[in-house]
Amino acid sequence: MPAASPGIYQALGMHLETTLVLPELIQSAPSVEHEPLVEVVEADHQQWPELQASPHSTPTLQLAPQEWRLELEGIGWFRATSGERLEWQRWDDSVSDRDIRTFVATSGLGALAIQRGALVLHGTALERDGEAILLLGHPVAGKSTLAWCLLQHGWRLLSSELVAVSPDGLVLPGMHQLKLWHDAAVALKLNWKQLPPVRKGLKRYALHAHDLDCLPQAAPLRLIYALNHAKADSGQEDGAEVEDAKEKMSLKASHNFSQTTSLMRLRNNAFQARVYRGMDAEAQLFMQAAALARTVPVHALIVPDGVKEMAESLKKVDLMRPESMQQPTEVIEEGASNA
Amino acid sequence: MPEDHSYWYLASYPKSGNTWCRIFIAELLRLAGDDPGGELNLNKDLETGAIASSRLWLDDQLGVNSCDLSFSELDPLRGRAGASAWLFAEGERFHKVHDAFQSPDSRGRPVVSTAGCSGVVYILRHPEDVAVSLSHFFSWPLERCVDYLLDPNAALVPGEHFGDLQVRQHMGRWDQHVCSWADQTQLSVLIMRYEDMLANGLETFTKLARFLGIPDEPKLIQQALDNTSIDRLKKLEDDVDGFAEKPAGCERFFRSGRTGEGAEQLTIEQRKCLAKGLADAMKRFQYEGPELV
Repeated sequence: MPAASPGIYQALGMHLETTLVLPELIQSAPSVEHEPLVEVVEADHQQWPELQASPHSTPTLQLAPQEWRLELEGIGWFRATSGERLEWQRWDDSVSDRDIRTFVATSGLGALAIQRGALVLHGTALERDGEAILLLGHPVAGKSTLAWCLLQHGWRLLSSELVAVSPDGLVLPGMHQLKLWHDAAVALKLNWKQLPPVRKGLKRYALHAHDLDCLPQAAPLRLIYALNHAKADSGQEDGAEVEDAKEKMSLKASHNFSQTTSLMRLRNNAFQARVYRGMDAEAQLFMQAAALARTVPVHALIVPDGVKEMAESLKKVDLMRPESMQQPTEVIEEGASNA
Repeated sequence: MPEDHSYWYLASYPKSGNTWCRIFIAELLRLAGDDPGGELNLNKDLETGAIASSRLWLDDQLGVNSCDLSFSELDPLRGRAGASAWLFAEGERFHKVHDAFQSPDSRGRPVVSTAGCSGVVYILRHPEDVAVSLSHFFSWPLERCVDYLLDPNAALVPGEHFGDLQVRQHMGRWDQHVCSWADQTQLSVLIMRYEDMLANGLETFTKLARFLGIPDEPKLIQQALDNTSIDRLKKLEDDVDGFAEKPAGCERFFRSGRTGEGAEQLTIEQRKCLAKGLADAMKRFQYEGPELV
């Protein structure tokens, strides 16, 4: 079988050339002039040079300055070097392209972007009227579900799962894909039977650019929300249960955090703090997160604990206006955790 | 002095006294520390270490989003996660585990890291009382709890349809869970029965303190026990307006703490069912059930 012809994709400020088909990224025209292309290529991991690994390495993750290696038993080996090259090898022939690209387009691209000096955060970014918001939070924080709901209200997806912010405060387009768990897809009344699973056998589905309204250009970051979930049951019995129940159905935003708290939130949501440390890029992270904390307000966003409640509550608020989700008497502590 | 990166597991089937044990350790260390005044805050002072099934911890160790892995891919990897000297920060040395030592998917490997681990405290409780406690905790009828204790596929967070902050924790049948930890040979193990923790507190917790290498002066142990009695824990739970580890729908985390509730509340058929299904392990750990004809 002839080798597939290479495609060129754009993500997190990079242009990538690869024979892998990457529907989660934006395809670029080959004729357009780019900066030097990042190669994403199949390789033999046994040919990789011996590594003096950082003590922050783990058995699956080997790290050194400008070097990131991932070994996933049963799936494959991955290596990102100097922000210029991403190599991968299947564990065996049973491993599909979809398996490989799941990790190439997330951890692999994140490592490459860090090597190229980007600020990469766990988050999902959306744009409306030329401005972007960033929903900050670790996996299972509910970013994708909230993002899908926002897309129904005129927002466009810039990047999901990992987000790169440039030094001048622009969110760079990245992953044009939302991954939704089965239960969320059902609650959102999506025809999940028609959706491809993220990987074979997973009850988690991928919505790609053709299913979503996406923006292929960078947009200035206006607001950052750190996601927290409302507890469905506070355990309190104080006679105000009905009022509490209403409260739990609403999206709520805190006042913006102090710069110090903002910085901590951003650092804690770095796209793999261990990777920054292991690649000796922690100072870079600190400087970039501090600069962002100075220029873009960060708020906590309390999200109702339930997909339907989340979708319903969005009808009443405007995420570009945090004050529309604030109550004068309410104090949402800066310490509200989403660590 | 070299930094102490050693860590311990506190393993148990759910609702067997694990949290009490963790609180006791936190309280003993607090009393033996520089600032023994005041009292324990359940939601602030119980930083005894992440649960071994924490998804955030696994993601950090594995370098990927574990939601992109199936349980059968994840379980064989879990034992390798954290096998480095940088595993746990100082002060976070005691890690709760509800998984059985191995899972059907883990390819014969433990689902927790054993490298650098100093040992495991395994806590067990009469399965009849576990059934009653599970019933309150999960808001399940007793019959379902009896079935759960006998289910070889029983697990916490078993669903593949949604994401959770913890990954699936396979437990299997109660006796399989007990034997998986009691009979493993990779970690030194101290087995503690909940009933002995309650009836012979000073002796049992002194053994625990010595096993863990933490202060074991009788006065301190007794003080920590007094400060973590069920009545004190109920008060501490009230003080913090609900313990953070209490699930939605559960009225309170610390409820009765008594032994013998299973014999009072389960039907004779339910008790016989447990006794028949779990006979060997119950006998081995001196748990009595109804006579089987």
